[in-house]
Amino acid sequence: MIVQTALLVGLVLFSGLALFLKDLIRAAISLAVASLLLGIVFFRMGAPYAGVFEISVVAGLITVLFILTIALTNTGEEVRESKLANLVFPLFFVIFIAIDAFVMKGLLQKIPALPAAAESGTFGDVLWKGRTLDLVGQIAVILAGVFSVLALFRKRDKHD
Amino acid sequence: MTNTWFLYLFFSLGLIGAGVYALLAKRNLVRLFIGIEVIGKGVSLLLLATGFARDNVLMAQAMVVTYIVIEVSVVATALALIINVYRHTKSLDIRKLAKLKG
Repeated sequence: MIVQTALLVGLVLFSGLALFLKDLIRAAISLAVASLLLGIVFFRMGAPYAGVFEISVVAGLITVLFILTIALTNTGEEVRESKLANLVFPLFFVIFIAIDAFVMKGLLQKIPALPAAAESGTFGDVLWKGRTLDLVGQIAVILAGVFSVLALFRKRDKHD
Repeated sequence: MTNTWFLYLFFSLGLIGAGVYALLAKRNLVRLFIGIEVIGKGVSLLLLATGFARDNVLMAQAMVVTYIVIEVSVVATALALIINVYRHTKSLDIRKLAKLKG
């Protein structure tokens, strides 16, 4: 439990760093470290497939895409962020976490437990047989993503 | 079992709060998108934690895998959009998008 809590604290910490570090490359790497910690949390919760996807796809592929975008859009001209927002964030976050902890403490044992159906079979059974419609949706979303990227990067016609 | 669920709920709400604050306060397009990613992390943690608390890890795992696959598609499209916006406005500043003309 202590290890799990430490991992979750690290996850929130690195996500905060990803949002508030000035250098965008460092921010992207912090996001990758946060994904890595989330993947380890998934492994420890008994969900190895979700952990593998989180580490390989989110920490790997998405970080590469982010770094590529940052490299392609880098001219040295920084976007001027408002300083007030950076100064107010720690205060906002401490208040938010305090309210969060207060509400969670109040809710402990109050929400009635939903009936849990006992699961049988393996992950493959659940994914391929139980959630077949999800898989069709995923294929449609991936195709839509491919076509949208193709449309965004197509070469301009001469009369444009 | 339920108490563990509240611990995960607490941390995932922390992630979602930080992400929403970044969405409201930041001006760099890439950083706004990092905020959306952080919110997504909080949601996927919450999904799996709920499955874990109800002894339904397999179903929750299938949901999280679905979410991750869709996330990749969304990231690819959004980053392509950001690059196109940069080519038009020569900047990543969200305020320059307020002018829709030309």
